[in-house]
Amino acid sequence: MRLAASIGRRLVATATLLLALSFLVFSLLYLAPGDVARNLLGARPASPESLASIREKFGLDQPFLTQYWHWLSGALTGDLGESVRSGSQVTDVLGQRVGLTLQLTVLAFVIALGVGVPAGIRAARRHGSVQDKTIVSLAVVGVAAPGFAVGLVLLYVFAVMLGWFPVYGTGDTPLDRLWHLALPAVALAAGLAALVVKVTRTAVLRELESDYVTFARARGLTPRAVARLYLTNAAIPVLTSAGLLLAFLFGGTILVETTFSLPGLGSLLAESITFKDIPVVQAVTLVVAVVISLAALAVDLLTLAVDPRVRRAGLT
Amino acid sequence: MSTPPSHLLIVPDLGQLSRRSLLKGLLVGGATMGALAACAPSSSSPTASGSAGVGADTGAEIDLVTIALPGSLSSLDVNTEAGIFNYYVAAIAQEGLLQVEPDGTLTPALAKEWKRVDASTYVFTLRTDAKFADGTPVTVDDVLYSIEKARDPKASPGTSWAWAGVDTVTQTGADEITIALSAPNVAFEWNPTAAGALFVTSKAFFEKVGTLGTAQSLILGSGPYKATAFQPDSYAEFERVDTWWGGVPKVKKVRFEFISDENARLLARRSGDVDLAFSVPIGQLDQWKSVAGTRIETASDRSWAGILFDVTVAPFDDQHVRTAIALACNRKDIVDGVLAGNGEVALGLPAPAVLATAVPESDARTLLGTIPQYDFDLDAAKAELAKSSVPGGFTVEWTYPNSGPQLGRAAQVIAADLAKIGITVNVVEQPLEQWLASIGDGVHGLSYMWYFPTTGDPGELVGYLLGEGNPGKFTDDTVAAKLTAANAETDPATRVAAIIAANAAAAQKVAQVPLWWGVSSTAVDKSLGLTDYGSFFFVGPWGSRLYAAA
Repeated sequence: MRLAASIGRRLVATATLLLALSFLVFSLLYLAPGDVARNLLGARPASPESLASIREKFGLDQPFLTQYWHWLSGALTGDLGESVRSGSQVTDVLGQRVGLTLQLTVLAFVIALGVGVPAGIRAARRHGSVQDKTIVSLAVVGVAAPGFAVGLVLLYVFAVMLGWFPVYGTGDTPLDRLWHLALPAVALAAGLAALVVKVTRTAVLRELESDYVTFARARGLTPRAVARLYLTNAAIPVLTSAGLLLAFLFGGTILVETTFSLPGLGSLLAESITFKDIPVVQAVTLVVAVVISLAALAVDLLTLAVDPRVRRAGLT
Repeated sequence: MSTPPSHLLIVPDLGQLSRRSLLKGLLVGGATMGALAACAPSSSSPTASGSAGVGADTGAEIDLVTIALPGSLSSLDVNTEAGIFNYYVAAIAQEGLLQVEPDGTLTPALAKEWKRVDASTYVFTLRTDAKFADGTPVTVDDVLYSIEKARDPKASPGTSWAWAGVDTVTQTGADEITIALSAPNVAFEWNPTAAGALFVTSKAFFEKVGTLGTAQSLILGSGPYKATAFQPDSYAEFERVDTWWGGVPKVKKVRFEFISDENARLLARRSGDVDLAFSVPIGQLDQWKSVAGTRIETASDRSWAGILFDVTVAPFDDQHVRTAIALACNRKDIVDGVLAGNGEVALGLPAPAVLATAVPESDARTLLGTIPQYDFDLDAAKAELAKSSVPGGFTVEWTYPNSGPQLGRAAQVIAADLAKIGITVNVVEQPLEQWLASIGDGVHGLSYMWYFPTTGDPGELVGYLLGEGNPGKFTDDTVAAKLTAANAETDPATRVAAIIAANAAAAQKVAQVPLWWGVSSTAVDKSLGLTDYGSFFFVGPWGSRLYAAA
């Protein structure tokens, strides 16, 4: 019951956040330099009449708050409007893109955790060794190297020199898609995996230095049983940071999708912002915000399952 | 005088190239700079086609040609999105009443013949054997409907401007359409083409799909290819049809891959994934040439790059200031150095290749030679500035679009020279959209103009930059009179002379500073031939002009 109430409160908070976010993004785009009508017409000799008629079509001649209200009332009834740039329904545009970005981020997430967690544990266990130092150094490089730079290097080595992977495109069959997404996912995962390594290593190290581990060892528990103890505890910070990391991943897709010419939400967002395609930018930011909020909620529920102290205190 | 409606100005890739500079120079940056320094200026005429050394047509069919597009399309419908690459893609599937040959000549397309009754009245007789790719015949109704749609600014933000001077469009015979203009304009013929502002589609098809050019609806035209798949910002695929009146093309399938990043495009070519690439960046030319089996075709892209003054913004309202800036532009060094010879010093507004659609190119060059020039002379520039309202100099911001890094480098060269006479120029890169909005905004007195026409109307750029409502707010009675005369003049040579006279009168007052006429480079696999490659190649039904080279 308490849990349901907590979740309910969280959902209300999320809805408020989304509303504030939508207003903020709308305002920023409204204030950003550039003119949608001009973008549509290009640098052509446009008559004032045609500029006026385009502004009227997209409601750009209305006061700011009216424009926002028009968008909001549409969005609340499920009508996200029409893309200024392509004339397509925003829901259609999102529908075409969201799958790819989701596949890309999930793949990158799996790679990052699959590599980062074991590497972090290993580094913590061999604390101070050459292996630890190597892993930590690699992680620093991973955090520091921008995703698109890693992407270009991967493209050059694996797609051009070795010819193992394609240079661009999305693939037709599921297996083909996986093959096309492998390099972008690795590029996207590089920075994330490095973060996961650092978080995991710190968490495991802290647990290893705790009294209960020393005590458990002293009691003669098998190394496997001891590991189970400290790994469960170390999992909490790793899990809670996962929500944040997901947000990090979505940010990374903008550059990685551009580098690999992938038609996902990231590249869509980048192009729509420069074009001042407000309906699309609004929709993409909200979708991403919803995903991140839901991920954060899921993480908190997971923490609840893992950590009895939190379970007693309830979800905040 | 009304603005001539036939002004076709397409900035390459509205919002599509904007990401291109993102990764610029990362992998190949060093090599790029090296290439710039090492490449000697090209001495060949920029308007000549560079197709020497291509093997003869083997007559064989080609299964697939993959094309790398430097940017991405969000719609296949040019009425909706009218970047230059939207034109290139749509041109293989859709037609207008007339079409543009690679050399810029207008020839029949859906109209088998046409007549200019006078400078305001045009009569088109439709061919009766034309069919859409779905097999249905192209009717007068379809054409009228497509024109009506193109004229509506809400439905067609990309093309409606070109129809602004049209008074009526009526059916005047079984297969005849008459277009009456509200003011004389002999260049109107460029508009009802797929290089201009008409993309004829089936009325029934449009009524069925509602919105054209999306991933679901695609486009339907009467050209040599039909659209079979489109993923916005990813790729578009076309297959040849046997319904085109001009015959069946040799290439069975054409696939456009939208690869915004210039380095990824080069990598795609290296891995052998693409057969043809539009608009190879100047800084990467040497790297493209070094890819085995690649040749570079060059032709004038008819573009004009230059300085635009807003003559209502101080201190650019002072002709001495404008003259001082013109004298401080070392155009030859910019073309030789920044462009590595891939361009030509612009003597005026219309490029020789554009004038050549009306008069022989040698005559065009002679005429361009009559326009007053301001050759690089810093002492003269300093003396001119001393006579101005700001003898001690001033500070100004100069923006350029991120899709044209060469514009930025040229601006830096000019800024360095202007600094020597006391003018401080802050060169600022901006996203294409932001730059567009800054032109003629009444704040920026000094701007870049970078103009890519798709048509070959000799009066286009002059009309835009000097005609009524021009972005520099320049007014001059002599110029206006010459432009009005040019719009009504039906004799091509007299018309070109009037256009050049208008240009010369404006140059006398330094309305703009022409910097260069551009050249575009297309990378092509050696096994692929392009028949009659020229300036206007990609805005006609070019898919039918590809062949297998020996």
